[in-house]
Amino acid sequence: MENNYEVLLKVDHLCQYFRLGRKDLKAVDDVSFEIKKGESFGLVGESGCGKTTTGRSIIKLYNITSGNVYFKGQRIGAGTRSYKDAIAAARADAAEKIKLLRAEKNADDARKAAIREEIQKINKELGAVVDKNRALIKDAKSDSKEVDKQYVKSLIQALEAEYAEKFRAAEGNAEKLKALKKEFNNRCRVAKKSRLITQIQMIFQDPIASLDPRMTVRDIIAEGLVINGITDKDYINEKVYEILEMVGLVREHADRYPHEFSGGQRQRIGIARAVIMQPEMIIADEPISALDVSIQAQVINLLNDLRERLGLTIMFIAHDLSVVKYFSDRIGVMYFGKIVELADSDELFNNPLHPYTKSLLSAIPLPDPVYEKQRTRIPYNPIAEHDYSVDTPSFREITPGHFVYCNDIEEKKYRQLVK
Amino acid sequence: MNKEIKLSVNDLKVSFRTDAGKVQAVRNISFDLYKGETLAIVGESGSGKSVTSKAIMGISAVNAIYESGEILYDGQDLVRIPEEEMHKLRGDKIAMIFQDPLSSLNPIMRIGRQITEAMLLKNKANRKEGRVTFNKTLAELSEMMKRALADTPDANVSISDVERYIKTFDDFNIQAIKLENSYNAARTAAEEMIAVIEDLLFLTEKKQKVDVVSTLGLIGRRLKEIDDKFFASKYVDTLKTHKSALDGVKRAERKKVTIVDSAKKFVGAGASKNEASPETVQVLEALKKTAKEMLEQPQYNFFRIGYYVYKHPETDLSRMPADEANEIAGKFLNEDFMDSFIALEKIAVQYSFDKTIQNKKAAIVALENAINFFRAGTFSAQEADVTCKNVNKSVLSAIDPLAIVKDNVAYTFGGALQREVEKYFFYVKNNPKEEARFARQTAQREALLAKGKKVDWKIVPKSVIEPEVQIETIVSVLSRVMNKFKADVETAETFNVDKRCVEIIDYLKEKASQVVYTLTKRIAKEKAIKLMEEVGIPEARMRYRQYPFEFSGGMRQRIVIAIALSANPDILICDEPTTALDVTIQAQILELINRLKREHNLSIIFITHDLGVVANMADRIAVMYAGKIVEYGTAEEVFYNPQHPYTWALLSSMPDLDTDERLDAIPGTPPNMIYPPVGDAFAERNKYAMEIDFEMQPPMYEVSPTHFAATWLLHPNAPKVEIPKIITERIRRMKERGGNHGE
Repeated sequence: MENNYEVLLKVDHLCQYFRLGRKDLKAVDDVSFEIKKGESFGLVGESGCGKTTTGRSIIKLYNITSGNVYFKGQRIGAGTRSYKDAIAAARADAAEKIKLLRAEKNADDARKAAIREEIQKINKELGAVVDKNRALIKDAKSDSKEVDKQYVKSLIQALEAEYAEKFRAAEGNAEKLKALKKEFNNRCRVAKKSRLITQIQMIFQDPIASLDPRMTVRDIIAEGLVINGITDKDYINEKVYEILEMVGLVREHADRYPHEFSGGQRQRIGIARAVIMQPEMIIADEPISALDVSIQAQVINLLNDLRERLGLTIMFIAHDLSVVKYFSDRIGVMYFGKIVELADSDELFNNPLHPYTKSLLSAIPLPDPVYEKQRTRIPYNPIAEHDYSVDTPSFREITPGHFVYCNDIEEKKYRQLVK
Repeated sequence: MNKEIKLSVNDLKVSFRTDAGKVQAVRNISFDLYKGETLAIVGESGSGKSVTSKAIMGISAVNAIYESGEILYDGQDLVRIPEEEMHKLRGDKIAMIFQDPLSSLNPIMRIGRQITEAMLLKNKANRKEGRVTFNKTLAELSEMMKRALADTPDANVSISDVERYIKTFDDFNIQAIKLENSYNAARTAAEEMIAVIEDLLFLTEKKQKVDVVSTLGLIGRRLKEIDDKFFASKYVDTLKTHKSALDGVKRAERKKVTIVDSAKKFVGAGASKNEASPETVQVLEALKKTAKEMLEQPQYNFFRIGYYVYKHPETDLSRMPADEANEIAGKFLNEDFMDSFIALEKIAVQYSFDKTIQNKKAAIVALENAINFFRAGTFSAQEADVTCKNVNKSVLSAIDPLAIVKDNVAYTFGGALQREVEKYFFYVKNNPKEEARFARQTAQREALLAKGKKVDWKIVPKSVIEPEVQIETIVSVLSRVMNKFKADVETAETFNVDKRCVEIIDYLKEKASQVVYTLTKRIAKEKAIKLMEEVGIPEARMRYRQYPFEFSGGMRQRIVIAIALSANPDILICDEPTTALDVTIQAQILELINRLKREHNLSIIFITHDLGVVANMADRIAVMYAGKIVEYGTAEEVFYNPQHPYTWALLSSMPDLDTDERLDAIPGTPPNMIYPPVGDAFAERNKYAMEIDFEMQPPMYEVSPTHFAATWLLHPNAPKVEIPKIITERIRRMKERGGNHGE
């Protein structure tokens, strides 16, 4: 396969709009980033800036408006709005041109013929654009449908390859062959139900709201396995106990209900539920915000342990900068639906470039009274800071790995700052 | 530290009665809050920090029991005062900001109304109260004068003179009130006019269409209200020209609108809206300038002028400049009335003071007797009742009726004593009724268990208090007022009669103007808008009419702060005000609270679990765990020299920007407070715990005069324990960064 496993998740011009009356609410607006395998990517920003929506769009809790999400090189989500917009724009453009041509009233015959030809040409061009974009739309739609079929296909192929040898080895031994066949069929059945998206799991903010109060911990944790078609009770139990111990709970907890646990333990259950699917990537959406101080450290340590043990890739969404700094390798700073700065965490904290990042960093409270009493917060006023009336900004790389959302003038300024 | 203590919590113990048993939420905590400082209470959820703050506000849940201790504010014990007294303090003197701003706002009420509601109600009550107090104080003064004269026969004033004086004082104050009232009304109208003009100018500047004609009408009506009032007498001519100019532009604007209207066949909503013309703007600017000038003119002294007008009803002082008028009227007042009135007042004040000192001496004896009586411990309910009544009588007689600052200790003494004694007979251990009930129900339960039935309920004894403890509480109530009286008697020689006389006159003046000060809805709106601007809400004029859901979290919290500040409280309790907000907004709100604290000289109790926030806000810190204060000191001491293992654990469990090693998480969870541990509550989660930690509770050890910690590690025989590396490293880094820090 031509998949590049270095980049695990690639988000490409992701837009997520919500309908708000006649207007669109641009919750996530043209966001692009990549997450490498095994790294921890932090996403920070104030509430309402779209960081949670980004996470939810990636695991397809929303149908994305436009842009693409690639996981392991396969497109798992695609939006069609940008193509539709392109078609509409082309149509409007063509209509305008034709109108102008037709407006020429006192033209002679030769000119009329020329105009007719011109119009035909424009229509042809328009048709090409429309066809191209329609194809893209079809592609996008089918891709998000077909991706699981392909994934299943590849899984079954792998299984077939694995079992072909086993069958050959067991040839002649009818009983063993039968058992193997049964096993193979079982696994095929599971594989047929599995979907690529289950490789990404999510941990939610509120451990009380995200656990069903009427299900036992065992049911909650095993639910994913059951949905995936695993019926072997013993296997499920074994798996649940293993995971429970992994997240620092004990076997006896399996038959209790969520309300019997403290906040930290509930969050551990949430983590167990995510980890049991053996995901490659976990999106942790403010996993510690709702927890007590002394428990927060326990959960952070647990996530760090799991990351090391299972080689997980984690996308960590939070608004507490000191925690994000502690936890993440790279950090993206979001502001009003856009990533304004993206860099290695040390680089970001040492050389913040975008004024919003600076403002955000200046607002972090530290447990140091003397420093705190001298600290002055830098306010951020986007209208005063940027003049985007002439030159539209885009996401640019200032130094290797350090991206800032800026326009030409600002880019020059930042480059000089870095030097 | 020689600071004024605002609030003092002593040995407070609060429990909650639940089905499973008694939850001991707060266990014997004590702290003081100084004027103008921020005390932070830090701890996990369930450590009792919110319970403490709610106890101070008097809003504990119904199943709360105050087992012992006191919360002293302004001489009153907040635990023991009745609800009506608490009502006067709550919001007015002690205000609170809660964690979730949305739950403390009414979702179906506009923001403006929510801010002005308390102001308007308070103003109404104030006016009433002002009138009552004015009359009462004056009556007391006249009574004292009469009595003093009866005792000193050689004085050259007669009783009838006194009555005349008092009558005159009362009458000319009414005159002054009338004048001030009309002055205030005109002033208000001017303020409102400026507000309306500013609104219109603002919209014109933004090129918005407004109903110019009706707005100009509104301005015209305000102008009429100002006209021919005392307030505007110097500006009559200027105002006339303004008026004609206003009429002129109004006509022009109306014409413009009618032309537009007739041009349109269908006149729909908003058709009469228009942009204000430049001429209109010019006229309005000029008018605004005049109105501002009028507002800035020097204040008249209505107390003096009232007397002048009372004596010379036909004269007109209004054309005179304020300074001159004040001077003339003042001179006249002093010569004609005030000098002799004050001489008389002096006699009365001295007489009343001497008498109360005598009464106080008598009361001290009575109190001492009562203390001995209760200490003896053998008394029947009837005897106790008689003693209470006698003591209360002598204490009440020892209150100086002419003292301006009311002696709250003595005033609330009677009720507090009564309640404590009642509690003694109702709750203490030898309550036979309660004991019988407990024994009966326990027997029932035992019987059921003996039958082999499964019983899943428990018998909870009603809150029982040891008799000795309760007697000590009673004695503390008695001795508090006794100590106060003793101090008063000692400082009796330093009493300044002249000062007291002036105080009384000032007090009467203040009350008189309180009667006049009417807060209309419009002024309340202006005040609310000012307040909203003060707490940092942009475009307050527009947002005044919005609903809470139209505001973001940070803005909502600002509104809650504005409401809390609208009554000008002494003490502000902030219960995790920023936990629901994100970093930038949090920083803004903290800055706001800090600024308001400086400007209003507030004392703040700041409850949080975020140590970073604490470092920013606090002057002093109390770390709470399982209902007890485990460490208590200034911010520098707690952060740079922490002593308690729990403080270490808190500090090391949160990463800061330089942390890269593994975090020191605190294992386990806080203990169940139905069965609090025998020893140190933190022992189970403490890796430095020694054997004694599981057996005995550690006392508070003094680290420095302002720094205390409750841990056995500070005992001289305890082994030397190293502070976790993560903390020492951090303190080292902090010292490098900040340079010269405290120890």
